[in-house]
Amino acid sequence: MSNGADLIHQMAEGDAEAFARFYDRYAPLIYPLILRILPDPTDAADCLHDVFWESRQRARTYDAARVTPDAWLVTRARARAIERMRAARRRRDGVPLGAPRAVFPATTPLERPPGVDQSVLTRAFERLPDPQREALELAYYGGLTQTEITARLKQPLGTVKTRLRLALDRLREMVKPA
Amino acid sequence: MSVSHEPFDTFAALHAVGALDGDDLRAFEAHLATGCARCAALVRQTEQALARAAMAGPPEPPPSVVRERLVKRAAAAGAPGRRRWLPWTLGIVAAAIAAGAFSAAYVAARYEARLGQMARETAAAKERVARREADLREELALLRDPTTRMVELRGQAAAPEAVARVLWAEGAGGLLLATNLPPPPPGKVYALWTVAGDTPRAAGIFVPDDAGRATLRVAAETSGAPVRILSVTLEPAGGTAAPSGAIALAPR
Repeated sequence: MSNGADLIHQMAEGDAEAFARFYDRYAPLIYPLILRILPDPTDAADCLHDVFWESRQRARTYDAARVTPDAWLVTRARARAIERMRAARRRRDGVPLGAPRAVFPATTPLERPPGVDQSVLTRAFERLPDPQREALELAYYGGLTQTEITARLKQPLGTVKTRLRLALDRLREMVKPA
Repeated sequence: MSVSHEPFDTFAALHAVGALDGDDLRAFEAHLATGCARCAALVRQTEQALARAAMAGPPEPPPSVVRERLVKRAAAAGAPGRRRWLPWTLGIVAAAIAAGAFSAAYVAARYEARLGQMARETAAAKERVARREADLREELALLRDPTTRMVELRGQAAAPEAVARVLWAEGAGGLLLATNLPPPPPGKVYALWTVAGDTPRAAGIFVPDDAGRATLRVAAETSGAPVRILSVTLEPAGGTAAPSGAIALAPR
């Protein structure tokens, strides 16, 4: 079976079969993340389409020595989903950037949207202390910057930076290959 | 006197999650432009950790229509080419560098990021227009197809005021056009089901716009069996294998 990097290289050569296999392998893993950021299924599906098409179009620039297929795809998927979420917020007058969606529901699991309850990052996130998890989820799913998180949490900027740094340090440790 | 690298370790982690902004972002971009291998590696490792964690959850199949569109589009397009905006981007960056207002590395990093963003937005807008055009062509073909039939759906308990029509051709699939749909309850979406034979098939999920309108393109039945029943129910946003929620629309 081809690995992800092989499929990307074959995609770059216009191999339609490799593109379909790449989609079949990764789309079900990426879709929950996009759905978490964009709860509207139509938006999420459009975003998923754009992410895979852009991946195909940029497959020639993929450098297996620099980035894994997972990171290459997830980073793009999250970035495009956040861009769409921010654009939608800008279109809705009066809704400040980074405002309102419940993105940090760990203490009230029943409020999580069905289907994403145990998905994306949850297991790793749940092992973080609440203040770190809260800051990281606002950044990762909510697309908020450190300044926006500071305003949202009413915490000093230094505190927010420290929480994010510690959360990401611990996350790196947790998911480090054995 | 040596300057501590510690602040940049923090900046690198925050940059990987997109949280860096303001003076910190500018300082880190300038620092990265000096070629700091430690920071570049830390950004990569953090992105990789986030990716591994993001893909660790249970998979969830996306709507089948996304795959169909991509496969069709890839078959029509040849091998992917290099991006046309790159030479233009590099030209602008070179001009900016020649102007010499700032340090070369700093200006290049800033302009490349901004122009890359503009190019992505333009490319995304073009793709949206192209996709919409393709959708309209398919819808026109559906209307022209002599085998297309129209199924009227009437609002049920979950959406008594709703009305919908489905244009359906057995070989080509269909198009749902609904109005007066109330917003789904939190965590729910509307799901369209087709029944060919005995088993209902999830033909797509959707949420109406602010005016209560919704349009959904539906793929043809892969089994080839004629569709006997079409209906819309309220289901969990994560999807479900069989209809389980309240019925919103059903045939007259």
